[in-house]
Amino acid sequence: MNDEWHHSSFALFSGDSMSTRSLSEHPLSQAEQRRLRWYRMQRAYEGYFFLAPNISGFLLFTAFPVIASFALSFFRWDLLTPPVYAGTAQFKELLFNDPQFRRVALNTFYFTFGTVPARVALSLLLAMALNQALRGITIYRVVYFMPVVTSLVAAALVFQWIFNGNFGILNSFLWGVGSLLHIPIHPPDWLNSTKWAMPAVMVLNLWKNVGFTMTIYLAGLQAIPQELYEAAEVDGAGGWAKFRHITLPMISPTTFFVIIMSLIWAFQVFEEPYIMTKGGPAFATTTLVHYIYLNAFRWSRMGKAAAIAWLLFAIIFVFTWLQVRYQRRWVHYEADQE
Amino acid sequence: MNRGFWFAVTLVLAATMVLVSCGPAAEPTAAPTEPPAAQPTAEPEVVEPEDAEITLLWGFWGSPEEKASHERVAEAFMAEHPNFQFEYMFAPWDDYFTKLQTVWAGGDPTAIPDVLFLWPTPSYAARGVLENLQPYIERDNYNLDDYWPYLLDSARYEGDVYGLPRDIEAHALYYNKKLFDEAGVAYPTDEWTWDDLLVAAEKLTKVDANGRVSQYALGMEGGKWPIWVGQAGGMVLDDLSNPSKCTLDTPEAIKGLQFFYDLMDKGYAIRSATMSQQGGDQAVFETGQVAMIIQNSSRVASFNANADLDYDVAAVPIPVGGQRWDMNGGAAWVMSAGADNKEAAWQFLKWLQSPGGGESMYTKNGEIFPALRSVANSEDFMGVEKPANRQAFVIGAEAAKPGGFAYFPEWDELSGSIISPQLDRLWAGEATPEEVVPGLCEAVDAFLADNGYPK
Amino acid sequence: MKPIRNSHGAGSGYRQRRKRIKRLGLHLVLITGSVVMLVPFAWMLSTSLKEPGDVFIYPPQWIPQPVRWENYTETVTVMPFGRFYLNSAIQAISVTALQLLTASLAAFAFARLRFRGRDALFLLYLATMMIPFPVTMIPNFVIMRYLNWIDTFRALILPPAFSAFSTFLLRQYFMSIPTEMDDAARVDGASSFRIWWQIILPLSGPALATLAIFTFLGQWNSFLWPLIVTNSEKMRTLPVGLATFQSQFSVQWHLLMAGSVIAVLPILVIYIAGQRWFVRGITLTGMGGR
Repeated sequence: MNDEWHHSSFALFSGDSMSTRSLSEHPLSQAEQRRLRWYRMQRAYEGYFFLAPNISGFLLFTAFPVIASFALSFFRWDLLTPPVYAGTAQFKELLFNDPQFRRVALNTFYFTFGTVPARVALSLLLAMALNQALRGITIYRVVYFMPVVTSLVAAALVFQWIFNGNFGILNSFLWGVGSLLHIPIHPPDWLNSTKWAMPAVMVLNLWKNVGFTMTIYLAGLQAIPQELYEAAEVDGAGGWAKFRHITLPMISPTTFFVIIMSLIWAFQVFEEPYIMTKGGPAFATTTLVHYIYLNAFRWSRMGKAAAIAWLLFAIIFVFTWLQVRYQRRWVHYEADQE
Repeated sequence: MNRGFWFAVTLVLAATMVLVSCGPAAEPTAAPTEPPAAQPTAEPEVVEPEDAEITLLWGFWGSPEEKASHERVAEAFMAEHPNFQFEYMFAPWDDYFTKLQTVWAGGDPTAIPDVLFLWPTPSYAARGVLENLQPYIERDNYNLDDYWPYLLDSARYEGDVYGLPRDIEAHALYYNKKLFDEAGVAYPTDEWTWDDLLVAAEKLTKVDANGRVSQYALGMEGGKWPIWVGQAGGMVLDDLSNPSKCTLDTPEAIKGLQFFYDLMDKGYAIRSATMSQQGGDQAVFETGQVAMIIQNSSRVASFNANADLDYDVAAVPIPVGGQRWDMNGGAAWVMSAGADNKEAAWQFLKWLQSPGGGESMYTKNGEIFPALRSVANSEDFMGVEKPANRQAFVIGAEAAKPGGFAYFPEWDELSGSIISPQLDRLWAGEATPEEVVPGLCEAVDAFLADNGYPK
Repeated sequence: MKPIRNSHGAGSGYRQRRKRIKRLGLHLVLITGSVVMLVPFAWMLSTSLKEPGDVFIYPPQWIPQPVRWENYTETVTVMPFGRFYLNSAIQAISVTALQLLTASLAAFAFARLRFRGRDALFLLYLATMMIPFPVTMIPNFVIMRYLNWIDTFRALILPPAFSAFSTFLLRQYFMSIPTEMDDAARVDGASSFRIWWQIILPLSGPALATLAIFTFLGQWNSFLWPLIVTNSEKMRTLPVGLATFQSQFSVQWHLLMAGSVIAVLPILVIYIAGQRWFVRGITLTGMGGR
């Protein structure tokens, strides 16, 4: 795709009869020059016009509160009495003097790197499976999306039963397998264990959200032209080759999106651990956003909550920046603007 | 045409946004005021609000049923005081405090509740958002002696009363008669000791062939550990308003923790996390998965409604040589410092918290164990048939003593970030009290020091 | 080399059979997965028809006995359910419409147009997604207070309508659309707006449908923000209303589940309707189209 050529010539002309002239052969008249200048200016600024509706609301309702929260992180504030300036004290306390923060940050990292790879892989697999002309495919797609709309409170309860140490089907299953194979399996009391509660929460989170990212992938898969696959088959490519050389590259912008969003969502996970285990036992499933919520609304430390949020931001930003920086290596854009 | 076209569209979009944002404002409200400071007021003038039209904003949490009950109470008050009108600030329990703090922080007097439900009172009083009720109490000779001993401590700040507790968390031992009969164990009495409890618990626990427990003897929420510690004579901190050190490492406190730990360790008591996953103590009791629970009176209404449940209550067992002890807290009705009609709010508050007024209505409805002794001992409470031995709650209330929670503002944070998570390890069976308590006390002392205690 | 099993000209028959077996296998796997996906929803339905005392009996009762249809009428009458439903609907539909419009315009700018500060602005958009909501909620609340929008639809609709997430999603999608058609259109004298309206948008059916579903879902279930910006009962939304079934000492599961089932219906309808858009929409002139 020779984009340089596209943009250099078409950018100059608005598509009238001058489209096939080149500058060196026929210099422009005064009128044409004026039109050209107007056109260039228009092109330089029309981006802002398209952006205007979105960015005005964005600045007011998103960017400004974000900046305000940054300022807040340098104050101690309990919401009701005037804020007190604290400089970087809160950041220092968090990083060096707050064992809960360290624990909570570790939990969040554990959760993120446990779920994101699984989530990306599973959603892609599911999307590919559901992208075929299979009988009842619409039903399947709806079914796999059901967890996303199922009430989290209901789902958490069912999963609590599944993981119940005494009667949960998971442990019954493991006991059964153990006695069948004559291996002593002693499954843990999942939700009562500081070691095993987090994996249980991860399973709930994956179950609930894989349909979401699957749908995003479905949309992306729809954009891949059939012709590419047909051409490849003519050349004798098998399933794996088609996947590696057509599907993966063509879907890479979507993958880029899915990875970044999954990372952001995983680092910000709150509801699943909160509802399933209330952050316990012993803070084992408390995540950073839960800790923020506790500090802001239970313990009236709004400034500290803002500081935690910005430390979290720094973490997420680093990972996102790495993604954006290295996307050129593996993300293939049709528009090829990068 | 094309250029002009999208130009025009963008303009229209921008104009629409501007119009939508600057539409006619809601009813003009006062500009956001500074959060009011807490100053004990001089003796308030007696203003007779008899003829003026008064609208009170009343704030509370609860389920739709509980809301309906509050509305009935309001109607009863309006019947006696026809010039009063009520509006409600109603939020779900878990998020009530979030909502409340944003309303206070917003400073809009029409949105700030005049009278509201609150827990815990002292830390909000310390931040200046509550009205000091002491002057009103003294002016009108409101009777504070009718409250259970020490209950008002949970709603005081710097010696003054800032809230009037509606109920008290008096606990009793609920037991399922059918399960006791099946196991051949005599029903609990009000004189039971820890040993009696252990003996009965062993017989009431059913373990099946695979070693899994199919019926537990006891279900009790982990957060109620102060009951055992208090009975053994221990306390969490040395001073509840101005603490200097953690006292959970005293032999008495450890004895209490160890008892609770052992109950779960031996398999007699269901682990609290497991219990909450199976629907909480109410569900496990009603479905016969536990034979006894220790809980406040909030379960009575739903147990009474369950025709299949044959149950009664007894006083909570105490250790030999220990003392009777129960929590001295209960959610309180308070008045916002930013309320716009304080005298009227006080009139309502007084009525709410009087025998014959709100207290009686809530008690008759079976919702609460009242904070007023006279109401508790009246027909409204004692006259209800089930459970027969409701006297047990009175025993609990009479034994209410400080020590279950502290009164300084940072208590919630100390308890939620350090004490409860550490003790959770005990209830999860991952460590013994000996292993947990030293580290816990160190962390508590460090927290107190970091926050400037003792002051 | 593919083995030629059957030399009676039924080599295709062998391949047909393999294909059918593969299909069957796929169906089996998908069905097993479906069961896993559906069990909690089934429990939701089942509980919504139970007596309160039957919710937690062990072993769990899948078919309620007796079936208590009154749960639904009770849920709907014990609170102004209709009003909550309407408020949630107005909020969700308006936010979705606004988001689709503003985000697709912005995404077009980021994906197709060149202007100064484009990449830096985009990074700013991305960055704001990384600040968790509880923290920006309070400054936002203060803005609402200042603008006098508390307890109005403006507060429910406008702040969530400008989403970095939507812009990001659409930008990625737009960037995967080949530019040939844009270029051809420009040769024919089309303005950027025309290209947005007549080329990019029609080709973005799947992404727009996805976005509409997600936005609607997120707004329909949105809890914290409506909780703090609405005070009166006439402005309350459905999730806040349902949360009141969880009170200090107990949870009314049977009513909560009945309410949740009613709340789920619009989303299901929209998702199923949106499936129409998940069809291959790319027809590329000059690339052999379909």
